[in-house]
Amino acid sequence: MIGLPHDTEPITTSGVIALLNLHRQIDGLESQAAGGRLTVVQRANLIDLLSLRGQLLSCIADIERAATLAKQLVGDAPTEGLAFLTRARTRAAFHHFAEALADLSVAERLGSERTALEAECAVIFQALGRYDAALVLRQNAVKHQPDFATLGALAGLQAERGKIAEAEGLFRESRRRYRGVSPFPLALLDFQRGLMWLEQGELHTARAWFSAAQSRVPGYVPALGHLAEVEAALGEYESAINRLRPLSVSSDPEYAGLLAGLLSKTGQRDEAGQWRSKAAARYDELVARHPDAFADHAAEFWLTIGADVKKARKLAWQNLIIRQTPRAYALVNLAALASTSH
Amino acid sequence: MSDHFSGPRAIADPTADIADLYVFPSPERPGHLVLVMNVFPAVMPGALFSDAVVYRFRLRPVTGISTGARPAFEVGQTEYVFSCTFAAPVQRNGSEAWLQMGTCTTPAGEMIFFRVNDEPGTEAQGLRVFAGPRLDPFFIDLPGVKATEKLRRLAFKAQGSNSLEGQNVLSIVVEAEVGLFGSSGPLFAVVGETMTTGKAPLRLERVGRPEIKNVVMSSKEFDPLNRDLEIRDLYNQEDPFHLAPTYAETYRARLNAHLAFFDSLDGETDWPPDEQGNHPLTKLLLADFLVVDVSKPYAENSCFEIEQALLKGRVPETCGGRSLNDDIVDSLYTLLVNGGNGPRIRDGVDQATRPAARRFPYLVSPNPNPPDLKAGAAALSAQPQGRAQ
Repeated sequence: MIGLPHDTEPITTSGVIALLNLHRQIDGLESQAAGGRLTVVQRANLIDLLSLRGQLLSCIADIERAATLAKQLVGDAPTEGLAFLTRARTRAAFHHFAEALADLSVAERLGSERTALEAECAVIFQALGRYDAALVLRQNAVKHQPDFATLGALAGLQAERGKIAEAEGLFRESRRRYRGVSPFPLALLDFQRGLMWLEQGELHTARAWFSAAQSRVPGYVPALGHLAEVEAALGEYESAINRLRPLSVSSDPEYAGLLAGLLSKTGQRDEAGQWRSKAAARYDELVARHPDAFADHAAEFWLTIGADVKKARKLAWQNLIIRQTPRAYALVNLAALASTSH
Repeated sequence: MSDHFSGPRAIADPTADIADLYVFPSPERPGHLVLVMNVFPAVMPGALFSDAVVYRFRLRPVTGISTGARPAFEVGQTEYVFSCTFAAPVQRNGSEAWLQMGTCTTPAGEMIFFRVNDEPGTEAQGLRVFAGPRLDPFFIDLPGVKATEKLRRLAFKAQGSNSLEGQNVLSIVVEAEVGLFGSSGPLFAVVGETMTTGKAPLRLERVGRPEIKNVVMSSKEFDPLNRDLEIRDLYNQEDPFHLAPTYAETYRARLNAHLAFFDSLDGETDWPPDEQGNHPLTKLLLADFLVVDVSKPYAENSCFEIEQALLKGRVPETCGGRSLNDDIVDSLYTLLVNGGNGPRIRDGVDQATRPAARRFPYLVSPNPNPPDLKAGAAALSAQPQGRAQ
């Protein structure tokens, strides 16, 4: 059964307030951090908040800042498991999976709680395409504590494994168990649900969930970007282009690339060329800085509007070496096909 | 810290994270009671209240019962509730600043509308209301508290350092005529709560006495029964006037173990447990609310006065409750460690960044620039209206 957002929606804080408060919270903690006045727990909290903002606003600078602070935290508190756990998260965000797993081992030796370690391990296994190992951890977590977080995480994994019916039930149950007022966890969950339906080609259902995520947090950039993607797939080019324009100045070149593709499709070749150049330069810069993290999306860009199959093929293989997910294999196949057709 | 960051749920939802609750007779207008709830610890000015949370004060008449094995409070059934809710913010006339409106609903159901961060506050229906960012009035030497726990002896320095120096909170201040409570009282039990809005409201957090969760309950080290349980999230969800039986024994075990630890810190046993191993303060503290006498005048450092009078079978001398300048860390440690039988225990910090004022809204203006404490201090010294009088 396909679930859609309905009238009995959980009431959460307005996304405008929540984002504004997130900025103020980060500013407050950053200032205290500058004065060396934060505890390890507060520093870890700041890192998590920066990562969250980075994720919501597609702000790569925030994610880089989180990684820098996590590195400093480990240096300053080498006997604290939380420091290593926090650095593991930031390393995983940049696809440094082996290093992240090593951090988790240290955190375990230093006495970090098993549930937190296993949750992080599952994230990494999932990203690596080691779905069976991730599944064991996710199912254990649900068995131990079936709450919003554990059910939502299992839902995301099942969605990625293509177990749509199971995932849908878990998404629904996770949502039902939400007890907070922060809009962010629900928006992130709804976004994942949208991704699942987009992958299944259920464009209208995907749109409903991306819209739900975007209404909860109006500035949620990936939700807006995927809404545009759905609109484009439905032939609503003008709306998609209008939605992408404000996102294209983002530090994540994905949106500039998408916009270039749509402008090109609708015959606006000059402007398309400008956005394509911007995206290309930014991808080159990011791949140089974080090759593991951006190989995937950069390959996709060069395969499409970027029009450099050789570059795409190299990056697709680079991505597959790091993680053997269905998406990584598909990207290599697409690149191979494109090479033959050239 | 007092009730700041009191558990994973509170940390996840800072707009619902109650940092402190205060209740005291108005120093400015005798015959009025002041209720203060601070939320969103360590926030920068510009933050706003959640529009999905009900911030409420609950008051019930209470009587001290000193007969029987242990002194306790008997809580009445009549309840007086002051609820504050907030709207989604708006931007006006092209300004980038956000404007937020709030509503305070009185026990009689009357509604008072106010603007967030309106310095003089709003006055109507016998009430004064203020909501907005303020300098956090709480003070504590947190490293001293941690060292005491780690070393298992009193480890405060003569000159401590305020861990909350220069930090801000979002404050709600409600000042009500005592006459609103009719013939009830004069003793009242007071709690602060944050609840979700909607048809089936959930309790996000509740606060009565300071430091019950973070100092008295949070450590897992001494509790022989529940060493791996983060107890504070469960405790926060409880109705303070009706502790559910499900986890009552869990809380009791945690408190018995921790209170025995505090009692041991000076090498003396001031609180011998009963035959069942219950600490004499466990029951009293599990009835987790502030107790204030609205018939008495404003007094500072009166926190725990009514509890101590009850324990010693004497008449309270001052109003109890909790005022903004109370040094509750010293008062709490003195109560727990020596029961008031020894010297007052000090954490080496005796006042907040700037002491609270005696004029509404009592809490002083927020630190505009917490990052740079020197700049913040300079800006603060240029605002004499916040000085204690």
